[in-house]
Amino acid sequence: MLEARELHKSFDDRHVLKGVTFGVGPGEIRVLIGLNGCGKTTLQRIITGILEPDSGSIRIGGEEITALPPEERQLGYVPQNTGLFPHLSVRENILYSLKNGRGSVESFHGMVELLGLETYLDLKPKQLSGGYRSRVSLARALASSPRAMLLDEPITEVDRAKKEFVLPLFRETLLGLKIPVLYITHDPWEAGEIGTSFSIMKGGVMSPISSPEEAFAVIRQEARDSGE
Amino acid sequence: MRKVSIWEVLFVPLFFLLIFYPILAILGNVTLDGMAKTFGDPVFWDAVKNTLGTAFCAALLGVLMALGFAYFYIFHPGTVIYRIADFMNDLPIALPHTVAGLALLLAFGRNMFGFAGPTGLAFTLVAVILAMFFVSYPLAARTIASSAEEIDRELINVARSLGDSPPRAYRRIVIPLLGEAIFSAFVLGFSRSLSEFAAVIMFGGNVPGMTMVLASYVFTKVEEGEVSMAVTASAFCILLSLLLVLFLRLEVKFRARSKRTA
Repeated sequence: MLEARELHKSFDDRHVLKGVTFGVGPGEIRVLIGLNGCGKTTLQRIITGILEPDSGSIRIGGEEITALPPEERQLGYVPQNTGLFPHLSVRENILYSLKNGRGSVESFHGMVELLGLETYLDLKPKQLSGGYRSRVSLARALASSPRAMLLDEPITEVDRAKKEFVLPLFRETLLGLKIPVLYITHDPWEAGEIGTSFSIMKGGVMSPISSPEEAFAVIRQEARDSGE
Repeated sequence: MRKVSIWEVLFVPLFFLLIFYPILAILGNVTLDGMAKTFGDPVFWDAVKNTLGTAFCAALLGVLMALGFAYFYIFHPGTVIYRIADFMNDLPIALPHTVAGLALLLAFGRNMFGFAGPTGLAFTLVAVILAMFFVSYPLAARTIASSAEEIDRELINVARSLGDSPPRAYRRIVIPLLGEAIFSAFVLGFSRSLSEFAAVIMFGGNVPGMTMVLASYVFTKVEEGEVSMAVTASAFCILLSLLLVLFLRLEVKFRARSKRTA
């Protein structure tokens, strides 16, 4: 279980997170939908350990991780721009965590096969298309045997046609691992394609919703109210 | 007919008069007699060896220190030590180099470092290296820090999520991505060290065969009235500098071409 309780974060006089609370169970893909600037990135940075919350707590599998540095959280992280290491090959990227005692050669082979990366292992990230870069980024995070996953708009650079192929693959892979997954996006369609449960981020607060359509209606209303 | 800009009218004659002509004045005054005397002088070759060896060590030390500075820049930018280091980086650029030499003399001379020898560290090759480092380090630090600024922080965040501590992420991700900057910082630091005179002569002295470098050799020969030898040694310095600049330019071109073809 990935849990957050009453997370608060302010930057100077701007209160960005106002008591964010949620829980994601094993085998659940919770999609967090929100407009740009609603606090999604701040939440992501707090969960990964880059930022410290002003108050509140985060737990994985019942263990309090709020004060742990990122390297001790065992949280798989797929960032927006894939974050692939440009000087390393696909193989070296996916095997990266092995030198830190995370994952195994078996999990590497498993991910490579599952995500169809066998023929790309010796290429550098810049030689891949956006869709394949996203796959490598996911494979790298999963090969480290994480206790939970956090994906922050991981396929932004993939065009819509390819997303229709990539998203089911991601969903199947993530569900198969039976770990908690928090998937952040601003796209309600993408949310519907991958999620098993949904939340919306609005005004620094995270609330559960029943469907991406509901999120879309809220976002549309918010955009209308702000005159965008 | 093309209209000539005022900038072209100003630039071309002034460039030739103030930059090109003085260089030409050195090269044009090289004589066979001066060459024979200079190249036959063992003190000259000692100065060449000293210059190259100490400049190499100073540049290496500069790059190592610059990498330390970049580490603070990436992982601890809000700390007092980073802010002091950042502020002090520009100091040696603004400071007269005689002052830098005197500062080093007082800090590492016999008063404070008497245990290291009768003159402390002063008037040794170590002093020459430290003087060269003092004036060349800011160049290396600025070169490496400005490249570190361009590295996507998300790469470091991902490396840490995969189990890297900050020093490990720095070694495995940041340093390889700084490869070009490290090379440029080394060449710039080396070039700046080669040309240093004031700080070196104040702290390292000008002992023939021991701490004399090319810049101080030229000065000594002018003082002794051996102008033809001073001119030959200066021409040698110019050729050395041109080679370095050419090397740096070729390296930049080669890397740009490799990037395009990759």
